[in-house]
Amino acid sequence: MKITLFEQAPYRYLPADFEQHHRSACDTPYFSLVSREGVYSSMRDCMDELMFAARCGFDGIGITEHGQSSYDMMPNPDLFASALAYSTESEGLDVAIIPMGRSLGKSREPLRVAEEYAMIDVLSGGRLVAGFPVGLAYDANVNNGVPPIQTRPRFDENLELVLRAWRDPEPFTWNGKYSQYPQVNIWPRPLQQPGPRPWITGVGNPRTMQLTLERDYGFNYVSWFGAKLTGKRIFDRFWEIADQVGVPRNPYRMGFVQTIAVAETDERAEQDYAAHLEYAFRKGIGSIPREGMMLPGGIDIRGVQALLKDPGDFGLYERMRTATFRELVDAGVVIVGSPSTVREQIGEFCTEYGIGNLHCMLGFGSLLRDLAMKNIQLFAEEVAPYLRRLWDGSGHEHHWWPERLGGVPRRTTDDPYRPAREEANVR
Amino acid sequence: MTMLDNTPQISQEAVDLWGGRLTMRVNVAGAGAPLLYLHPAGGLAWDPFLSQLATRYTVYAPELPGTSAGDPYAIHAVDELSDLVLVYEELVRRLGLERPVLVGQSFGGMLAAELAALYPGITEKLVLLDPLGLWREDAPIANPIAAAPHELPGMLFHDPAGAAARAFLEPPADPEVAAAATAAMVWALGCAGKFLWPVFDRGLRNRGHRITAATLIVWGEQDTLIPAAYAAEFQALIPDSQVVLVPECGHIPQVEQLEHTSAAVAEFLSARGAT
Repeated sequence: MKITLFEQAPYRYLPADFEQHHRSACDTPYFSLVSREGVYSSMRDCMDELMFAARCGFDGIGITEHGQSSYDMMPNPDLFASALAYSTESEGLDVAIIPMGRSLGKSREPLRVAEEYAMIDVLSGGRLVAGFPVGLAYDANVNNGVPPIQTRPRFDENLELVLRAWRDPEPFTWNGKYSQYPQVNIWPRPLQQPGPRPWITGVGNPRTMQLTLERDYGFNYVSWFGAKLTGKRIFDRFWEIADQVGVPRNPYRMGFVQTIAVAETDERAEQDYAAHLEYAFRKGIGSIPREGMMLPGGIDIRGVQALLKDPGDFGLYERMRTATFRELVDAGVVIVGSPSTVREQIGEFCTEYGIGNLHCMLGFGSLLRDLAMKNIQLFAEEVAPYLRRLWDGSGHEHHWWPERLGGVPRRTTDDPYRPAREEANVR
Repeated sequence: MTMLDNTPQISQEAVDLWGGRLTMRVNVAGAGAPLLYLHPAGGLAWDPFLSQLATRYTVYAPELPGTSAGDPYAIHAVDELSDLVLVYEELVRRLGLERPVLVGQSFGGMLAAELAALYPGITEKLVLLDPLGLWREDAPIANPIAAAPHELPGMLFHDPAGAAARAFLEPPADPEVAAAATAAMVWALGCAGKFLWPVFDRGLRNRGHRITAATLIVWGEQDTLIPAAYAAEFQALIPDSQVVLVPECGHIPQVEQLEHTSAAVAEFLSARGAT
């Protein structure tokens, strides 16, 4: 199993009563809440924690894109990723660089995404794992002005452009609905050819799952809503669609983001982390109003009907703004405890649901540097070794991981990528 | 409910256009000269205002592509606002309407103004009810598409607790029907959003001077979605135009102050020698 550190870059010093005074974490006023020292250390410590994880032997380090938000100050993850690519390369650390990543439903400059990822792959010597989320409503539609009904078709078109830009040998003209380029011929191209295998991020939309399976991409599930509530629904759905599509249940095509906190004992873990976890979820995802997650037009009408009928994919979301530590634990939003508690719970979960890439969120919310480092180190030394061999002997190979890091990429150029544009946001 | 008793017989016509890529559904009622009504972003709701118009006119109320039941993906056949205006112009010709009175509410008001600006000969009488289409830095328009559901009543009505507002906002009793109606409204907002997002200014200010029709601009004085200051803005833009401000009224004058609005519209249409 591949084990990575995934972090966001939250502002770590918001006042305790933030939720009482602010509607949302994605229209938060800046100057009245932020100090120069606070923003510098929030960013610097996040970067240091990612580098520390690389030195501790994690298989990858990852971040993602969220603009204009206090819970993740990451308007372009490629800035972080490029710094990490060079730093790890210069220290000789064989670790995957994982922007999880650049949102293609949001991007109005998709060619720049192709160029940035190609640069990171070159800088890192071929260690890029390339993620492409569709994009959250507040980010794609509000922060970047994309009409919600265009988010999905724009994602489809942009992904097609990125993949062609990476691999087409001759310059070509791109006449898209959302962007037009007289010439596409980017320099440099990714070292990994015909391009790193894409990873798509999803929260349960069956259409997204089907797309990743049909096109042989990786799939990252982000478990903010509580994996004990949503996991069975989501993972069962994914593997059932895999059966329908007719691809093997290879765990390496599945990635799972989980918030985890480890200390010497269960009691100590609660003492160390409970307040920081409450901060992370109340002032983070709990402070993204529903209309920040989805806007009219962004979800197909059938999807809206399905959500109204059964909002189960959203787990604890509606209560997240006031969630207690105990509720977060009970819903599986977080896994907290001694090394043995944590490895047992995660091992069971990953085995049951066929997860071959575990993205551990070990820094979160207001957690300060020293505790984050402790969490990372304990996980690396006391938990990871017990999980790493989970799928050894399963007969599956990792086709979605860089070759330089032991992956076995399929060198296919006959990408079956042909989006049906007019039906592009049919769920 | 007594007003609903006056609802006329409404028939539906399916009109093929846009090179065979679209079938638009048009609700037709009443008798007399033609009147084309363009609905707001939330979709078409046949209301007493339309019923009253149908006593004097043949009212044609088309449904925005994508908002007709059973045909949600029709929206994908139209990409740009300019194409949408062409679709409606084609519709007028396919229906064989000769200079219909043009009435539009909110998003429909913006569409009606665009249609009258691009095709000045299409109508001689234009009625705009709290239309979208212009933008003032000092009076930003609220975004109902991005609003939380609980914010909508206050955006749409001066008195959300009043009888007219409650009747308008009351969800259907059957939960299944209510869920379907909610999904349909959410999708309708998404379809209209395609031609509005992200800032509700698609350049009408550059084109509005081309409108030659006599124009009535009706505005709810307490409209919090599009402040009534925009009424004067439209009046300044459209050469032959006049304004009626409706007191005690929010964004939907024909619902919140039906009598006042109907009377103002009727007076305007008859004073101009309604056919």
